[in-house]
Amino acid sequence: MTSTPISNWTVLMTAVTAVLPFVAFLLIMVFTRKNERLSAGLSIGAVSVSLAGALFLIIQYRHLTTSVQYAGKWLVSGFITIPVGFLLDPLSLLMLTIVTVICFLVQIYSLGYMAGDRGFSRYYAFMSLFAWAMISLTLSASLFQLYVFWELVGLSSYLLIGFWYEKFSASEAGKKAFVMTRLGDVAFMLGLLLVLMNLGNLDILKLNSPMVTAVMSPGLITLSALLIFGGVVGKSAQFPLLTWLPDAMEGPTPVSALLHSATMVAAGVFLFARLFPFFSHSATAMTVCLAVGTISMLLSSTMAMVSRDIKQVWAYSTISQLGYMIMGLAAGGYVAGVFHLTTHAGFKALLFLCSGVFIHQYETNDMFDIGRKGGRHLKTPMICMVIAAAALSGLPPFSGFFSKEMIMAQLAGLGNPIWLTAGLAGVFLTAYYAFRLIFIIVFPKEINDEAAQENSAVHGHEETEHHHDREMAWPLVILAAITVVLGFGKKMLQGFLSGRLAGVEEMAGHHSDWLLYVSVSLAVLGLVVTWMEFGRRKAGQIGFVERIPALKSLFLERWYIDRMYRRLLDVVIYRGVSNICTQNDNRVIDGSIDAVCDGTVKSGRMISDLHLSMIQYKLLVMFVAVFFLALYFFF
Amino acid sequence: MIVPYSHVIVLAGIVFLMGMFCAVTRRNLIMILLGLEIMLNSGAIAFIGAALRWQLLEGQAIAIFILAIAAAEVSVGLALIVCAYRRKGSVDPGAYN
Amino acid sequence: MPIAYAHFPYLSSILFSCVAGLLIILFIPEDKKDAIKWVSAVCSGVTLLLSAYLFFAYDKTQGGLQFVEKYQWVPSLGISYYNGADGFGLPMLLLTGIVFFTGVLTMWELETRVKEFFALIFLLVSGVFGMFMSMDLFFIFIWFDVSLFPMYLLIAVWGSTRKEYAAMKLTLYLLAGSALVLPAIIYLVVKSGFHTFDLVALMHPGTFTPFQQKFAFILLYIGFGILAGVWPFHTWSPTGHVAAPTAVSMIHAGVLMKIGAFGVLRVGIFLCPEGWQYWAHLMALLAVIGIVYGVFVGLSQTDLKFVIGYSSVSHMGIVGLGLATVTVEGLNGAVFQMFAHGVMTALFFSSVGYIYDRTHTKSIVELGGLSRTMPVASGYLIVAALTGIGVPCLASFWAELTVFISSFKVYPLYGILAVCALVVSALFMLRVVQRTCYGPPKERFAHLEDVSFKLGIPRMILVSVIVIFGLFPDVMLNMIQTASIPFISGLP
Repeated sequence: MTSTPISNWTVLMTAVTAVLPFVAFLLIMVFTRKNERLSAGLSIGAVSVSLAGALFLIIQYRHLTTSVQYAGKWLVSGFITIPVGFLLDPLSLLMLTIVTVICFLVQIYSLGYMAGDRGFSRYYAFMSLFAWAMISLTLSASLFQLYVFWELVGLSSYLLIGFWYEKFSASEAGKKAFVMTRLGDVAFMLGLLLVLMNLGNLDILKLNSPMVTAVMSPGLITLSALLIFGGVVGKSAQFPLLTWLPDAMEGPTPVSALLHSATMVAAGVFLFARLFPFFSHSATAMTVCLAVGTISMLLSSTMAMVSRDIKQVWAYSTISQLGYMIMGLAAGGYVAGVFHLTTHAGFKALLFLCSGVFIHQYETNDMFDIGRKGGRHLKTPMICMVIAAAALSGLPPFSGFFSKEMIMAQLAGLGNPIWLTAGLAGVFLTAYYAFRLIFIIVFPKEINDEAAQENSAVHGHEETEHHHDREMAWPLVILAAITVVLGFGKKMLQGFLSGRLAGVEEMAGHHSDWLLYVSVSLAVLGLVVTWMEFGRRKAGQIGFVERIPALKSLFLERWYIDRMYRRLLDVVIYRGVSNICTQNDNRVIDGSIDAVCDGTVKSGRMISDLHLSMIQYKLLVMFVAVFFLALYFFF
Repeated sequence: MIVPYSHVIVLAGIVFLMGMFCAVTRRNLIMILLGLEIMLNSGAIAFIGAALRWQLLEGQAIAIFILAIAAAEVSVGLALIVCAYRRKGSVDPGAYN
Repeated sequence: MPIAYAHFPYLSSILFSCVAGLLIILFIPEDKKDAIKWVSAVCSGVTLLLSAYLFFAYDKTQGGLQFVEKYQWVPSLGISYYNGADGFGLPMLLLTGIVFFTGVLTMWELETRVKEFFALIFLLVSGVFGMFMSMDLFFIFIWFDVSLFPMYLLIAVWGSTRKEYAAMKLTLYLLAGSALVLPAIIYLVVKSGFHTFDLVALMHPGTFTPFQQKFAFILLYIGFGILAGVWPFHTWSPTGHVAAPTAVSMIHAGVLMKIGAFGVLRVGIFLCPEGWQYWAHLMALLAVIGIVYGVFVGLSQTDLKFVIGYSSVSHMGIVGLGLATVTVEGLNGAVFQMFAHGVMTALFFSSVGYIYDRTHTKSIVELGGLSRTMPVASGYLIVAALTGIGVPCLASFWAELTVFISSFKVYPLYGILAVCALVVSALFMLRVVQRTCYGPPKERFAHLEDVSFKLGIPRMILVSVIVIFGLFPDVMLNMIQTASIPFISGLP
């Protein structure tokens, strides 16, 4: 794949798009911390310029067939060269657009959501930091650069999750997120080093070109692909590193919408898509990825079925949708995976932002509480949420339907029917947990209607007074519109994306109509089951899972994965290795040094004891010695 | 009659040995000091004998120096002993640790 | 003896301003504390400006030794006053300037025995500067000892937490190191047959037989390595860090430990390249043990300064690993890491010192919620912790990355271990941040003041250095490469 020459204008445009949020970050941190309005203005201004830049770029390169690359040098040290540059191809342009659009909308939304918070300026500073890192990540031309920004988005995620640092759970969740993704990143880094040693270069285009197989043996490719996939697992919260994401919901809701559903966690999938040709060289690696995606998809769906926390449900659902994307990619469906990423970014951000409105209004995360307090009376967010949930469950004609159906078609094309079965089961579970939440909020059972009316009247009154409401409402409407429309852009997007990957065989041809019906009817089945259990008037609002205590606690405890990590950390790291090392330091090393010192002092004392009251003996010895010396010298 | 040099040396040697014996064996600081003085004097005797034997004046000069130094040493030594006695109440060197 | 200076003697002027500062302080009456502080600030500022000037004035295309000053001192013994700066020395000079200046500013609030304190600091730093610029073995040894001796007094008089014990331990360790270095230096000088202490003259390949190199190198490595905190000779350093007053901790961890690593490089590796290659594997092993061990021990510490002390052990392990790779990248990474770690720990101790001065505790169990009461102070602490974790776009990330890459190439297993230690290091740094800065604000710290602008200046300088070199690592790496590439290509 050759690079087309690029104009200086493009270089400038891209640089501005990428760097401006960073400038905003520095300015806010250094100068405008005290002035909240100015901080927000700076941040939003920077991100809207980025948005404009992104739109400009994607329009300019809409007929792109070959990649546009620009590389400068960031660092040269012996044989190590770390380039700084950017790579414009359909994937990065698409991702860039997604990131900037959602960043922009979320920052607008945050004006309302975060109003009055003590850390308002800090919030916008971190948001700008994230925007910079994420935009630069999508544009990276080499894996080195990608790794750098990969770490930086991890950092901003840490800072934003622990944004309300006074809550212990928030700072703990931030730490957990950082350390767990770091675990994946270490694998990623080792993979990078392995590739670097063998290929001598980490250029994404080089890595994706067919010549890789000539240089690296198949085993080596599999190993490095798996190691790099470790990074994907960490960042996209896949099995077994999936437990940090639900905890990350401790952050402010717009943060969850932006980082932990739409963009940052999708960076893992983005990396997978970025290196799709490289991964395709190894069938083993692809199968492992497929398995990991499937397991995480199913595990997290089951967790979502019993959770009462509205944000946690969406967090689990994010994991499971990311699992879908990875399944789609690993099954060979490049376009399917990326398309699902795109649609998911839209509807999941929408789900979070809607939940944010509820949480902001009723100050609780519990879905039963929200329902009881009259959540259904907030019309705009409720409608938007239903649309998004429908998209999530894959109901036509919303965007999720199209992308999920593409993934199913990919899975059907695989030889082994297990994957398709799992995928279809996931469709059912998704519809179940999505509408469980909706029904619980819309049809609250435990209170009488009058109280709800009263409540809603009060809140309705508040609503008119709430002057931030408009800022929070119109991002919802825009996203809802995108969710409705995006599915119909499938053909266009397919053309745009596969322009780049003309060489990669698309297996989408296999798909048949029966699959479509099966998957839609499964989604509808899920909907119906939920209606029976939660929606209809006589429903007990207890799910079929919750009737089995063992299963319920298993799901509530996240399959005990978290506990296992906790124990592992406590027993092996803290009480095991760390303790042994400390003891070694105190007892063995310091002990022996102190013993040597004490020994020296003691032996000195002992020898000094020999001197006591011995003047005359010494005198005698002196005389004798002189006598013998005299003998020696004279005779 | 002129005393032969060898006799003087023998005398000096005997006096030196006596002084040494005194300094090493007595359990009394004053006596140890006395022993030292005796040894010094034996040196002086040897010097004087040598001065006579070679007819040089330096030997006698040194003998006078020795007397002076011995006097100084005794005064300092006795002062130290008095000090030590006041502190410890004893003139036995074994008592001083 | 004619002194022919082709240029202004910049290097000597750095030393001179230290000595001048020392003398002026000695002549100022004890009770004029402000005057003493101002003199210290000005003199240390001069050293910073001079070293920064040298750093940027160095001609990178030409390379080699520049700003050379040579003056025969004791010709009969072959001792000369010989200063020069190259790509290895200049980053260290700059580091010393930065840490010295910011350290002096950090101690602005000192009230007890101000005069003696600053006089000793000046003595210490002049030794450090001398060590980094001298090219004569005799002077290297002298400066080395000059920089060790004031530490005892500084810790024993102004310290805290078992200060006598720590001061004694530190002094004994370091003197043991210099007791190994001196015989090795004399051995080399005698065996060379050149009758000179001139490092450059002794560097000619073929001066020493392989056996002599191996023998001398191991002595030099352990001798200087003790000062660099090589495992298992590291225990003096956390204890010393904890006991020392803030500025001394900054200079101690920021600069003194670098003297050790720099000594290994300048004397050991320069004079005994074959010995270096012979012992490289041992060096790598000890370094990796240090890296992994340091983070694990740090994980279970409750004293803030102990935590930083052990992180220093781990980070200096990265320096050792870089030196052990015998590659250009390894040397680059090691020297860069020395610089980055110096600035980072200086920032760390500076912010911890501020917190300790206000709250009177260093125990992370008692601290908590400081982000609310003093957001700026804890902000500095967080930046330092993030640098310690190796977050990109902060200086130490690049150094660590370079070292990891080169070690992965030479010693794959050690490289993997070192990379894995990153996870634990993240865990332990974030644990510290969480316990001190986060959490609900505590009642007893509620009245404390945040860092004022004036007191914040040294920390601002350190943070901006970290960020600048993090964003433009090439400035530093280009400098180091002028020395490392010719050196490695000149190896037999």
